[in-house]
Amino acid sequence: MKSEKEYIDLARGVVERAHAKGALAEAFLVAEESLEVEIRDQEIEALTQAQERGLGLRLIREGRLGFAFTDDFNPASLEELVEEALENSRLTTPDEYNVLPPPSQEYPDIPLWDQEIEAIPVKDKIELAMEIERQARAYDPRVKITESCSYSETRYLVVVNNSLGIEALYRGTQCGASIYLVALEGEEAQTGFGFMYNRYYRNLDPVKIGREGAQRAVRMLGARRISTRRAPVVLDPYVAVSFLEFLAPALSAEAVQKGKSLFRGKVGHQVASPALTLWDDGLIPGGIGSSPFDGEGVPTQRTPLVLKGELQGFLHNTYTAAKEGRSSTGNASRASFKSPPRIGTTNFYLEPGILSPEDIIREINEGLYLTEVMGMHTANPISGDFSLGASGIWIEKGELARPVRGVAIAGNIIEVLKNVDRVGNDLTFYGSTGSPTLRVAGLTISGS
Amino acid sequence: MFFSEDALREILAAALAAGGDFAEIFIERRDITNISCEDNKIEGLITGRDQGAGIRVLKGDKTAYGYTTHLHKETLISLAQEVARVLAPGQARELVLTRPPSPVEFVIKERPDQVEVKRKVDLVLQVNSAARQVDPRVVQVVVGYGDGVQQVTIANSEGVLVEDERLRCRLVIQVIASDGQIIQTAMETIGGHKGWEIFQEVDPLEKACQAARRAVALLTAPPAPAGKMPVIMSGEAGGTMIHEACGHGLEADLVQKQLSVYSGKKGQMVASPLITVIDDPTLPGKYGSYRFDDEGTPAQRTVLIEKGVLKEYLYDYLTARKEGRASTGNGRRESYQYRPIPRMSNTFIAPGEDRPEDILRDTPHGLLVKRMGGGQVNTVTGDFVFEVAEGYLIQGGQLGPLVRGATLTGNGPEVLKIIDRVGNDLGFALGVCGKDGQGVPVGDAQPTIRIPEIIVGGLLPEEGKKQ
Repeated sequence: MKSEKEYIDLARGVVERAHAKGALAEAFLVAEESLEVEIRDQEIEALTQAQERGLGLRLIREGRLGFAFTDDFNPASLEELVEEALENSRLTTPDEYNVLPPPSQEYPDIPLWDQEIEAIPVKDKIELAMEIERQARAYDPRVKITESCSYSETRYLVVVNNSLGIEALYRGTQCGASIYLVALEGEEAQTGFGFMYNRYYRNLDPVKIGREGAQRAVRMLGARRISTRRAPVVLDPYVAVSFLEFLAPALSAEAVQKGKSLFRGKVGHQVASPALTLWDDGLIPGGIGSSPFDGEGVPTQRTPLVLKGELQGFLHNTYTAAKEGRSSTGNASRASFKSPPRIGTTNFYLEPGILSPEDIIREINEGLYLTEVMGMHTANPISGDFSLGASGIWIEKGELARPVRGVAIAGNIIEVLKNVDRVGNDLTFYGSTGSPTLRVAGLTISGS
Repeated sequence: MFFSEDALREILAAALAAGGDFAEIFIERRDITNISCEDNKIEGLITGRDQGAGIRVLKGDKTAYGYTTHLHKETLISLAQEVARVLAPGQARELVLTRPPSPVEFVIKERPDQVEVKRKVDLVLQVNSAARQVDPRVVQVVVGYGDGVQQVTIANSEGVLVEDERLRCRLVIQVIASDGQIIQTAMETIGGHKGWEIFQEVDPLEKACQAARRAVALLTAPPAPAGKMPVIMSGEAGGTMIHEACGHGLEADLVQKQLSVYSGKKGQMVASPLITVIDDPTLPGKYGSYRFDDEGTPAQRTVLIEKGVLKEYLYDYLTARKEGRASTGNGRRESYQYRPIPRMSNTFIAPGEDRPEDILRDTPHGLLVKRMGGGQVNTVTGDFVFEVAEGYLIQGGQLGPLVRGATLTGNGPEVLKIIDRVGNDLGFALGVCGKDGQGVPVGDAQPTIRIPEIIVGGLLPEEGKKQ
């Protein structure tokens, strides 16, 4: 890797060049190094090491946006990049709200860097993955096939520079480990998974990951379909997180302004059960979604979205904020250096309640404990309608009684939010989104 | 050509000397243009370049992989050594590189990178207006145009050297309609391994109107019913079902790891005798078409299931090597950042003999799927879901009212065995298929087929009324 200063200078050089041609300009640069280890049956299956970097240039001229990106940092390519972005700005529609953020007083100091991770030898990381597999196999003899078992890490650096004077940099580490496995009994096979992401290597817990993967598979052995009915449904934190990720786009001010959000015009209204409080918090120390500043150099913050079921507001970037004459919430997000900032969540989570998951299940006479959904990417975030393949465990008289597979659940996300009547105390993050166990009073389950 | 033949040989030789028994380099340059229109505005016009190289070294079943964006010979030699060292010791070897002939030629009439950006912008604006003119309840239109030119050089220690270019265009039209109370959406896509001529072959304005009409019609459509029922999938619905219910389970990596319900079933009846399934990247112009796969193996047509009997799986180099056989030319990767794995290309059920209108007439009740959306499968259990983007009730052998979105959920082997009618039509759809975090362009298709019973994930009648 080049030094931090070299990257800062490189971003500044591109911005200055574009500025000299009469445009407001912003450079977003990422450089990263990564490692991935995949093991299977206690043997290394694959080891990948990589270096990657790239720069996206956004510029504004007479209200028109131009954007271009490259991963080639030769001076000639960077010169071409500026020309391309300028050329692209000729054909876009002018918009007075196309503005860049001014520099901030200061950025929050959030720990994101694991000092130890780089020095830990690769063989220890391989050993961590192997320990996950051993733990899974030891949990139950029916755990027989490893689909994949891996450890991965990334060390990265982000630079934002704009011609209004923002010049900012941060570095971060991320690591993760996972197992996807199969439990067999007779002719039947069931799958399970366990995974964990963290900023710090020492926080990864191979025992927990391995056992969770094994437990998820083994408890599904013997699963059958059930008949079509309406019943209470308990979402485990993993499934609840899938629903939150599906909901997130509707909380973006861009979706609201474009008529694509089901929350449009609902600020101050009760949009969810009073049991639900939803936050976006980019400041959580060590959070996977944390950073000192967002994709355009605006400081991140803690933003209430839903308090006791009442909608508080939306997530903004500089463009959507300018349109409403307010300030950005620091939620400009970039999928990569290859695209201009849109709006995204940071650490996005539901506040935990007081009941344990066991307490929630104990209250149910008949219902479904939902542990996996299929096809969430086909659900419609604009209408809120979803229809998903589902599997889980049937609850009888307050006990997890027998596994269920091959059914479908359908409804609308608003209906789900309004019908949540129990919230667990087990807030769990999967990546940057977190939720406790939730109970939904009733959903249609389509079966045989 | 990014590097001379000598340089490629030098990089591969450096890897082999350091470790492993097979070395490969995949070098890529991709130039893309994306245009987006929303709110009646050209919001984004993005051009960009990605380039990089991936080096793969194998020893037995073990893989070492590395990639970098630095395309300098010295960087690649040291990356090759670093990657291969994981599989040390190696053995120096003389290499001769030869270029296999292309199995098929694709004709591109008008390269997208030769089309003026202004024309692309104009097309996007016209599509936007066409969709908006359909109905005042159209509240938002999102149009996305994209084209990409990917140039690859692939060389390996078996002596293969392939240089290829892949060229794709696509247009995605999403229409959002609202009556003030509810919001509904509809989407249409056009795309292929084709140049700009695709927009003369398929009328983008007509597609825009179709999407708009459907989004508006969905506003007054009742929800789909819930439960088990007969389903006809129209030939124009696309092939998501066959892609999910069967295709993924025939990928050799999953088969070898015992992660597929189709593991160990070659030669067995796995589907109704009416069913023949084919994977064919050599079809000209489809979204999943290619001349060579991402390991430099020439593309080929593979019959996977013939009259219900499982004949073949989809192999890449590594899975083929494990069985001492040849690859089927299905080793694909999203980019230089990924290892190749067995993937589908254009996958379809071969047409049968029934006329589609006869299949409908012979079905007293059920659901007719006119358009499929995305889907997902658990290959281990065979359970799959896919989205119905446009579905109608069947009433007395006739097409009934449009119903709102639902998914169909079933089990691949179970569904394939009970299909009882296969039409003589065939309709292709395009998509981006995800596996192990890698997205690759695919095509899929099927004739009109009837599944006597499958679970529709809709709503019960009493709830349907509430909404």
